[in-house]
Amino acid sequence: MWPKISRRLLLQELRRGELTIMALAIVLSVTAVLSLSLFSERLQEGLMARSSEFLAADRVLSSRREVNESWLTEAHERNLQTARRVVFNSMAFAGDELGLVDVKAVSEGYPLRGDLETAAEPYGEGEVTNGVPPRGEAWVASALFQSLQLDIGDTIEVGDSAFRVTRVVTYEPDVGFSVFTDSPNVLINYADLAATNLIQPGSRVRYNILYAGEPDAVTGYEDWLLPQLNDDTHRWRSIDDGDEPLARSLRRAERFMMLASLLGVVLAATAVAVAAQRYCQRNYDVVAIMKTLGGSKAQIQKIFTLHLLLLTVISIGIGLLLGWFIQWQVTELVAARLETTLPAAGWRPYALASATGLLSSVMFTLYPLLRLIKVPPLRVLHRQLVGAADIRWLHWLLCGGTVYFLLVLYSQQWLLSTALFAGGGGAAVVLLLIGRLFIGVSRKAGMQAGSAWRLAMAGLQRRAGANSVQMISFSTAIMLLLLVLALRNELLADWQEQLPDDAPNYFILNVAEEKVDQLQQTFAAENIASNDMYPIVPGRVTAINDEVLRDEVTKEDRDTDEGEREEEGDAREGFGRELSLTWRNELPPNNVIVEGQWFGDDTTPQVSLESEVAQRMDMKLGDELEFNIGGEVFRVPVTSIREVNWNSLQPNFYMIFNPATLSDFPATYISSFHLDQSRKSELNALFKDFPQVSLLDLDALMAQLREVISQVSLAIAFVLFLVIIAGTLVLVAQVQASMEERQQELVILRTLGAPAKLLRRSITYEFLVLGGISGLIATLAMELSLLILQTQVFEMDAVWHWRFWLVGPVAGAVIVALLGRLACARLIRRNTAQLIRTLA
Amino acid sequence: MLIQTTQLEKKVTTSEGELQILHPINMQIAAGETVAIVGASGSGKSTLLSLLAGLDLASAGDVLIDNEKLSELDEEQRAKVRADKIGFIFQSFLLIPSLTALENVMLPAELAGHKTAEQEARELLTQVGLSERLHHYPNQLSGGEQQRVAIARAFIGTPKILFADEPTGNLDKKTGNTVEDLLFDMNAKSGTTLIMVTHDGELAKRCQRILRMDAGRLNEEQRDVA
Repeated sequence: MWPKISRRLLLQELRRGELTIMALAIVLSVTAVLSLSLFSERLQEGLMARSSEFLAADRVLSSRREVNESWLTEAHERNLQTARRVVFNSMAFAGDELGLVDVKAVSEGYPLRGDLETAAEPYGEGEVTNGVPPRGEAWVASALFQSLQLDIGDTIEVGDSAFRVTRVVTYEPDVGFSVFTDSPNVLINYADLAATNLIQPGSRVRYNILYAGEPDAVTGYEDWLLPQLNDDTHRWRSIDDGDEPLARSLRRAERFMMLASLLGVVLAATAVAVAAQRYCQRNYDVVAIMKTLGGSKAQIQKIFTLHLLLLTVISIGIGLLLGWFIQWQVTELVAARLETTLPAAGWRPYALASATGLLSSVMFTLYPLLRLIKVPPLRVLHRQLVGAADIRWLHWLLCGGTVYFLLVLYSQQWLLSTALFAGGGGAAVVLLLIGRLFIGVSRKAGMQAGSAWRLAMAGLQRRAGANSVQMISFSTAIMLLLLVLALRNELLADWQEQLPDDAPNYFILNVAEEKVDQLQQTFAAENIASNDMYPIVPGRVTAINDEVLRDEVTKEDRDTDEGEREEEGDAREGFGRELSLTWRNELPPNNVIVEGQWFGDDTTPQVSLESEVAQRMDMKLGDELEFNIGGEVFRVPVTSIREVNWNSLQPNFYMIFNPATLSDFPATYISSFHLDQSRKSELNALFKDFPQVSLLDLDALMAQLREVISQVSLAIAFVLFLVIIAGTLVLVAQVQASMEERQQELVILRTLGAPAKLLRRSITYEFLVLGGISGLIATLAMELSLLILQTQVFEMDAVWHWRFWLVGPVAGAVIVALLGRLACARLIRRNTAQLIRTLA
Repeated sequence: MLIQTTQLEKKVTTSEGELQILHPINMQIAAGETVAIVGASGSGKSTLLSLLAGLDLASAGDVLIDNEKLSELDEEQRAKVRADKIGFIFQSFLLIPSLTALENVMLPAELAGHKTAEQEARELLTQVGLSERLHHYPNQLSGGEQQRVAIARAFIGTPKILFADEPTGNLDKKTGNTVEDLLFDMNAKSGTTLIMVTHDGELAKRCQRILRMDAGRLNEEQRDVA
């Protein structure tokens, strides 16, 4: 019989809307988790695929020697695609002209990710080109046409081979930000490589194997290969290695999505917890009646357990459908806006979402349900009787444990989850204390105010215990909303700052000292905005204090591996090559001194170090560095350490000297400038007088960056939207629950003849104060959390958010008061007799 | 004897010390009797009712229903006794708001595992004149109608004993009278033992016996049956 009673109760209560909030809370938690994880999984894979273009592959094995053939065979057996790329410096001859070039021999299939773009003429509009140069042909960079006086169809000689120049390379996905690659590229077919006879034992060559395939296959291969690699010879690279241009932005976006989703999950779970509590309280009378009518504890237990399970399962089902639909819509939108397709997601998000719904419903209801079942039958005569609350710790344990478990389940990161959980727990206790304090203070203030205020303040004070708990959920919801909003604004602003519309899209290199003024005049005359000119003096670090660095390589060993920053080195080996040194009076933009002092006009020899390299090479403030520049050896102390924003599109340096130390050495100059796409055709004319200058086109790369950022921004907007919904639901559930407590009081006051206006006002004021205080506490908590998140998680500067100190309390007060007023309006609209009957 | 109490006492502990709500009560009620318990507010009427119905436990003494000592039963067993032998009517009706009239009446029979609960409930609701209101929810019914649903619910499963706590307390005079008539009428037909707590002297007089509670002490009023 009990399943029948259970089902009937469920259907009737659903029909009458009594379970709406509880069902909504579960639906929302499932919807939020599913759509967030589906979307972020798909987006992440999409982003990964996009980012892989910067490598031209999913993974790259870079080696100083030929790669073991069996490694390639193994890759093919694992269904991975591979391509070869061999890179080295050589002289190229064209008629009477000669110049140093980067030769890049690529095999069929290159690039495995992203597209190669070529044009029919120098600086022409690039188009996607399938395939690699046919045998006997070379595709060369625009800059080479200037320096070698080339035309399409001419022949260039590289080593023992001659190649006909047939296309102009305008974009290679794997070119990266390597602005110091001072020689233009010549792309030839890998099959032509041997005939050039340039690869001899001992030649300085970088052999690369590009890999692409299904993520599982790639990871499997990675696990198989990594133990066999030799640190001295091999380098294994993937997009999240950290040094790739986009990696940092992507990591931030990923962390933000993760964090926001976690907060969304916590909010949704909170809504379920609040609703579950209320659900059980509503059923106290029903249980007492059933027990009076002879229902046994076991029967009642079964009835309500099934009732809840049915409700949960139905809600999870609706949540899954809704979540899938929402993410489908958003994905369509993204795809339409960005003209890309996102890969399909796996089963994990569905499992995760269902588990979230089930866990939060069951675990949060367990204790209230235990109390519900313990309601004594005597309650039918004494309405104040409730079930014994002797195991309250169990409730906190269950709720806390569930939230923590969900955090871990969702993030799969113990550390992040523990930090969030501990932080949240600590904050809740503090909030509770502050909340009580505020309520005490406002009671005093309320004593002198008018009647509605007095009523409101008396209400606040009387329900101080319940109110502090309410305040925690109000504050948590408001805080999480503010947090996600503030973080989003900052991430977007941060990216926008990196890629403003007039961001430099060309780098110029190899500008001779005597040409600097002329070039700057040309820029001015043509109305082109350019950055400062930076002198470049090649030199090497030979010792730190008295410790001589192992540095046997020769000048030819300039490691110009594409996509890799020139300065990037291997700490264990020392730099092992020449660095691009510069000198300058002022601290460059996007550089921040973190230790020591910028030298300014000080003429004592000294150097400023970039912080990451200082850490990697174990160099400290005050260390004496020995440099060798063209045979001249000198020592200078490190007087400052700088943090550098490597994502800024300007020349950045590991070592900056004061002018007095370095300005006497011969230097070439480097700079960057912005030229509108529409003026691209002017480039050839512009640089006619500067044949030695190399030009690096970053437009295609920046377009790619912008696209990724707009995808991420869209995703973040979506996450924000879901978090707002979750937050609102918590507020609604909480207001609804507290309204029930107020019902009896309302009836009494109404019966005593209190006008509806007075009641409405007093409730509005009460919620206004509650919301305002919650908003204030939320802002404080948000500011503290943000401080930690920005500095510890997002690698950003901490900023104080003055605007939120106004927005938080005002929005909190207005929203909570509005919700309270709406909820009480429904009660007050009914006449007193109806109200009494409701209570009876 | 259907109901018997021996030295039945109830004490509660308050912040001001121990409070004796019921002084030792000895009484007997035979099957089929109608008994009113009257007295001022706070005299202990409802407490006595809750002890007799096994909703609460005595501090000392015993309640015997059908020779079964309630003090020796646990909560589950007392629930079983209520399911098998007892029906209730309350001043505030205590219907389950999310169930219809029919479902409210069916509930005790279903909890007791009756296969024909719906049939029984329909018949009872017809008897109380609510055959047109089977699928109405409590808040769609007037007070008198709600109490009639409660009466139908009390009689389902043909209980031996019916406890009524101020059954007309929430109703106006006219409606109250109709409900009273219905209650006594149905009680007479089924031969149930009726124990009713009331303030209403007129209502009390319709019972065969009147027991007066006064500050926790019970005295029987000697009178002829009206």
